[in-house]
Amino acid sequence: MKKIKFLPIITILILGACIGDDFLNDTVEPVLRITSTVDTIEINTSFNFESIYLNNVGVEEDVEVQWFSSHDDVIKIRENDGVAMALQEGNSVISVNYDGGSTALKDSVVVTVGSETISLPEERSGSIFTTSSYVLRGDFVIKMNGNNMLLEFSDNYAASTALPGLFVYLSNNRNSIANALEISAVEVFSGAHSYTIPNVSINEYSYIVYFCKPFNVKVGDGEII
Amino acid sequence: MKNIIFSLLTLFFITGTINAGGPWVQQKGKGYFKFSEWWTVYDQHYTDTGQKDPNVTTGIFNTSLYVEYGFTNRLTGIFSGPIFSRNYMNNLISSTNGELLIKGEAINSLGDFDIGFKYSLTKPGSVKIPISASFTFGLPTGKTNGGTQGNLQTGDGEFNQMIQIDAGTGFNLGKNVFAYANAFAAFNNRTQGFSEEFRLGIEAGVGLFNKKLWIITRLSNVESLQNGETVETIMRTSIFANNTEYTSLGLEANYYISDKIGVSASITSALRGEIIAASPSYSIGIFLDLSK
Repeated sequence: MKKIKFLPIITILILGACIGDDFLNDTVEPVLRITSTVDTIEINTSFNFESIYLNNVGVEEDVEVQWFSSHDDVIKIRENDGVAMALQEGNSVISVNYDGGSTALKDSVVVTVGSETISLPEERSGSIFTTSSYVLRGDFVIKMNGNNMLLEFSDNYAASTALPGLFVYLSNNRNSIANALEISAVEVFSGAHSYTIPNVSINEYSYIVYFCKPFNVKVGDGEII
Repeated sequence: MKNIIFSLLTLFFITGTINAGGPWVQQKGKGYFKFSEWWTVYDQHYTDTGQKDPNVTTGIFNTSLYVEYGFTNRLTGIFSGPIFSRNYMNNLISSTNGELLIKGEAINSLGDFDIGFKYSLTKPGSVKIPISASFTFGLPTGKTNGGTQGNLQTGDGEFNQMIQIDAGTGFNLGKNVFAYANAFAAFNNRTQGFSEEFRLGIEAGVGLFNKKLWIITRLSNVESLQNGETVETIMRTSIFANNTEYTSLGLEANYYISDKIGVSASITSALRGEIIAASPSYSIGIFLDLSK
């Protein structure tokens, strides 16, 4: 009889092993960013400026933006779609605005009109740091190679070999990989190495993040500057 | 590219044994049987540097059988195994917008069984400090890579062999207050690239109310020889809490409801650890003690 009483307790315990909810603080400041990398536009030609809006969890959203040129006589830009015409030599500040009611965002670049169209050097860099107690450090450079992005780590890179399932991502939210681009499982744990990432533009992501993928444990990150 | 699906946390815990331990063996034809539920739920773990880091809340619940049976007066067979093991991980939800970021999952299966023998090196009842040797086979009967990420597990997928030496003694602390103390040392030989382990432990128990209630405490230590494979060299699809180390302290109570039937409850927690859950484990059980 006492055995029979004991069994329901164990049954309740097993049934109590239900999947619950964990909450991740993934709030980030919304961002509006010009992704075009042009430095100089050839006179009497057009150029289509592009931007990206990232919401409060770092996810891209389609929003209506307005484009402006500080000097319409140098560069005239269509407000609704960012198509610009280079009219005469000189400089103009190209701005993109988003008014989301409580959220007003703006980004600007200085663009020159000259004899040929020149893109900015397509290279960014940064350093990764651990945000956990697992080892992670190193400097990196990202650059474009055609349509592919090349992520190169320096000799000073090191990552813990104790943590299984370490993956590297490109993300616009350093706290979450929910909408990040998975680059690869980490297979190199020290020294220089590189990743080739197809069909990604250089200004598309803001962070490199390292997560233990199976358990969604963040290991570290680095801002792409 | 190496196809590596690693996982670490599933058996990231201390399996707080609540079995009849020590150097004492069963008499021929006598036995000890226990049916128990063991569980732990943890949202942080000890890292390789011994510090605590957070992880997605993970739980494992084992419904286990433990059997000791005396084949002879010096040789006891032992079986210990989770006949039902459930491993789950929580949903991960954005606190910003309530979106489900990663869906939680669970698996149910057998756990890893242990089958072994304990042999009394001293003639039972003839010495004050009996010594026994045990040999245990750890069978990979559990599931190693459940769930969409392959990260839910109820077993380590490896066949291990452990040799153990136990020594202990029983004594009286006063009128109707009985006590015992024992210690063990063990070497766990593991396969599949897992590091070998050296284990040490001490245990002490006090029997009160004419041995109806036993209060037991255990201090255990596991050291990895760190001679297994690492994520740099491993070529297979699963590694299971390799190089785990810990020092744990457990407290257990056993109460005899009748001469032979009793209930038990225990709690075990790590005092320090590496690659192991940083939460206590609990167990409750009912046992049938036919050794009396």
